[in-house]
Amino acid sequence: MRQILWQREVSADRWRYPGEAGAGPVVQTLAELLADSGAAAGDAMVGVRLGPTDEVALLAPLLARVALVVVQFEPSGDGRGYSQGQLLRQRYGYTGELRASGAIRRDYLFLLARCGFDSFEFAAGEDPHAALAHLERYSVAYQSASGKLVQPRLRA
Amino acid sequence: MYQYDEFDRTFVSERVAEFRDQTRRFLAGELSEDEFRPLRLRNGLYIQTHAPMLRVAIPYGLLSTRQLRMLAHIARRYDRGFGHFSTRQNIQYNWPKLAEVPDILAELATVEMHAIQTSGNCIRNVTSDHLAGVASDELEDPRPWCELIRQWSTLHPEFTYLPRKFKIAVTGASNDRSVSAVHDIGLRLVRGPDGETGFEVLVGGGLGRMPIIGKRIREWLPQHELLAYLDAILRVYNRYGRRDNIHRARIKVLVKSLGIEEFSRQVEAEFAANHAVAPHADAATIARLRASFAPPPYLSLPDADESVGASTAFLAWYRHNTRAHKVSGYRVVFISLKKHGEAPGDMTDAQMDALADLADRHSFGEVRVTHDQNLVLADVPQRDLRELHGALTPLGLATPNIGTLTDMICCPGLDFCSLANAGSIGIAKQIHAQFDDLDYLYDLGEIQVKMSGCMNACGHHHIGHIGILGVDKHGEEWYQITLGGSASGEVALGEVIGPSVSKPHVAATIARIVDVYVERRESDNETFLQVVRRLGIAPFKERVYAPDSVAA
Repeated sequence: MRQILWQREVSADRWRYPGEAGAGPVVQTLAELLADSGAAAGDAMVGVRLGPTDEVALLAPLLARVALVVVQFEPSGDGRGYSQGQLLRQRYGYTGELRASGAIRRDYLFLLARCGFDSFEFAAGEDPHAALAHLERYSVAYQSASGKLVQPRLRA
Repeated sequence: MYQYDEFDRTFVSERVAEFRDQTRRFLAGELSEDEFRPLRLRNGLYIQTHAPMLRVAIPYGLLSTRQLRMLAHIARRYDRGFGHFSTRQNIQYNWPKLAEVPDILAELATVEMHAIQTSGNCIRNVTSDHLAGVASDELEDPRPWCELIRQWSTLHPEFTYLPRKFKIAVTGASNDRSVSAVHDIGLRLVRGPDGETGFEVLVGGGLGRMPIIGKRIREWLPQHELLAYLDAILRVYNRYGRRDNIHRARIKVLVKSLGIEEFSRQVEAEFAANHAVAPHADAATIARLRASFAPPPYLSLPDADESVGASTAFLAWYRHNTRAHKVSGYRVVFISLKKHGEAPGDMTDAQMDALADLADRHSFGEVRVTHDQNLVLADVPQRDLRELHGALTPLGLATPNIGTLTDMICCPGLDFCSLANAGSIGIAKQIHAQFDDLDYLYDLGEIQVKMSGCMNACGHHHIGHIGILGVDKHGEEWYQITLGGSASGEVALGEVIGPSVSKPHVAATIARIVDVYVERRESDNETFLQVVRRLGIAPFKERVYAPDSVAA
C-alpha cells in the first residue's frame, strides 16, 4: 500500500492511480477530467494528475470539484512542478490536497512545501517518518511563497 | 560592503548543516551519485578531472580582507596552496576532498561566504561592474541591486530547478564593464522619462555553443518592480524553456524560438497577472541596502602628479595598472594575475594574505575580482601608490600588463576541467613567451585576448578582440581563432578567420595577426579592434594562411 505524507501525517493513500486495484476513487489525467467535465458535473470530488507540460489554467475552472492534484516530478530535476504548485495556490486559489509525486526525496520537501505542496509520495527507500523533519530544514527564507505547511521566518 | 545580519547567518548555517547531512548520506551510500549530483552542484561542487572542484561565490566580485584571508586559509588547509579566480568573479579550488567540503563551507560561513548556487541549473552568482561606486561614468551604484537579487535568488522556492543555469549581470555605468549583453538577463541602470532611475532589461544573451547578444525586453523598468519583473521572466522560462536537450535549454533558445515580441508579451502578461503577490522591495529595504554600499571615509586629498622623480618600472605600472578615481587624490589599482609563467587568474595563499594586508593599509580593507580575472584595490590614495607598487612587485602582483595582449582571459582548460577539449593554460604560457617585450605590448595598445578550452565559452572567446577556442580534432588539441569580438561599448561577436591551428602554432599565429595590425593601422591611436572593424578579417586571414605560414 502506498504511503503518503499528507499534512505532516503518514498514512495509506485513499486514492487509486489508474490501473490499480482496490477501493477508493481513481485519479484521472487532466485530459480525462476535461473530457468528462460536462457529464460528471455535480459528481463527487475528483483527483487529477498533472504532467510537467499540463497547463494549470485549464484546470482552474474545475477546481471547485477537485480534492487532489498530483503533480508529477521527473527524476531528472525537472522544476516545472514548482511553478504549477505556486500557480494553483496563489493564482487559482486551490485549497485541496496538492501532492508531489515521482522520485521525491527528503531534500526537496522544504522547497516543495514552500510552493504549496502539502502531500508527498516518496521515492522507493525513502522513509516518510525520517523525511518529515526536513520540512523544518530552514527556519528562514528570503522570499514569500504560497505554501502554508511550513512557515519560515521572513526578513522583517 | 553588505554585512550579514542574524537572518543571513541563520540561513547560511542551516545550509551548511543540510549539505553536511547530504554529504554524509552520499558517503554512506544512502544517496546515489545521480541523487547527490543536483544537491552538490547547488553547493558549488563539481567532480572534475583530478578531484572535486569547489566554486565559492564572491557576490558581485566584492571581498573584505577578512574574506580574502579565509580564501587563503582554505587554499592552504584544504587545497594545494592556490585558488583560481573565474570569469564570473568567483574563486575555484581544484583539489579539495569531498569529505572535507562541509568543513570548508562551515569555515566560509564564519566570514559570511558560501558556495550556494555557483553551479547547477539555478540562478547563479550575480555579477557586476568591478568599478562600481568609484567610476565617474556611473549613474548609480549597481551593488545594492545585486545584493537584492542575491537574496531573492537564494534558494528560490520556485526557480531552483530551472531548465539550465541562469546568469544575471547588473551595471550602472555608461561603459558596460559587466558584459551584461551576454547574460541571461542584463540589467542596466538608466534614467527614465521623468528622470527617475530604473532598469533597461536585456534578456536571452549568452555565449557557449550559441553566442547571442541579449534582446531588450524593457526600455525602462521602475526600480521597485525589479523583483516582480524578474519573477515573471523566470516563471515563463521555468515553464516553457526546453528541457529535452541540454544544448537548447538556456533562455536564449526560448527567446529566439518565440521571438522577442512574443516572449515579451508572455512576460508582461505574467507580470500583470502576478502583480498582487509578486515580491516588491520596499523603500526601507532599498535604503538599507544602499547604506551598505555607502562610500568609505575618503580623506580630502589633492590630485598629485605621480610621474615626478619616479622609476621607469613605477611609471609603466602606474600608466597601465591604475585608473582614474571619481574622488580627487585617489586612484583605482589593478592587481594583474597574468604574470608570465602563471596560469591566468591563479593566486597563491601567500599572495592572498599579503594582498589582504596591503588592502587594509591602502584601500579600506576591500578587494574586488574582475570578470577578466584580475583583482582591484578600488580606493588607493595617490600618495600611497609608490609604497604599494614597491610592496606588490616582490609578490609578483605588479606585472604592468593590464589591458595589453598578455592580460588574457583563460579558463582552466584541459588541465583541470572535465568538459574541456583542449588546454588553455599552456597556450597562455606560449603567448606570454611570444610577447615578452613589454615595450612592444605597450606599442600594440589594448588587445583583449580571451580563450576557452571548449565551446562552453567560460573564457568568453566570442567577445575577445582575439578569441581562441580549443577544439578536439581526432584526439589532438587544435585552436580556432576569431577576430573582432568586443565585450564593451558596441558588443560584438568575433568572426572565425578560418581552419583551426595546431597547438604549437597558436602564438605564432597571433603574432602574424598582430603584424597585420601594426602594418595597417593609420595612426598610433587606431586600436586593434578599430583596424579589424575597418578592414574586416580578410587581410588577417590572408596572412595567417599564407603558403609560407605555419598554419597553412
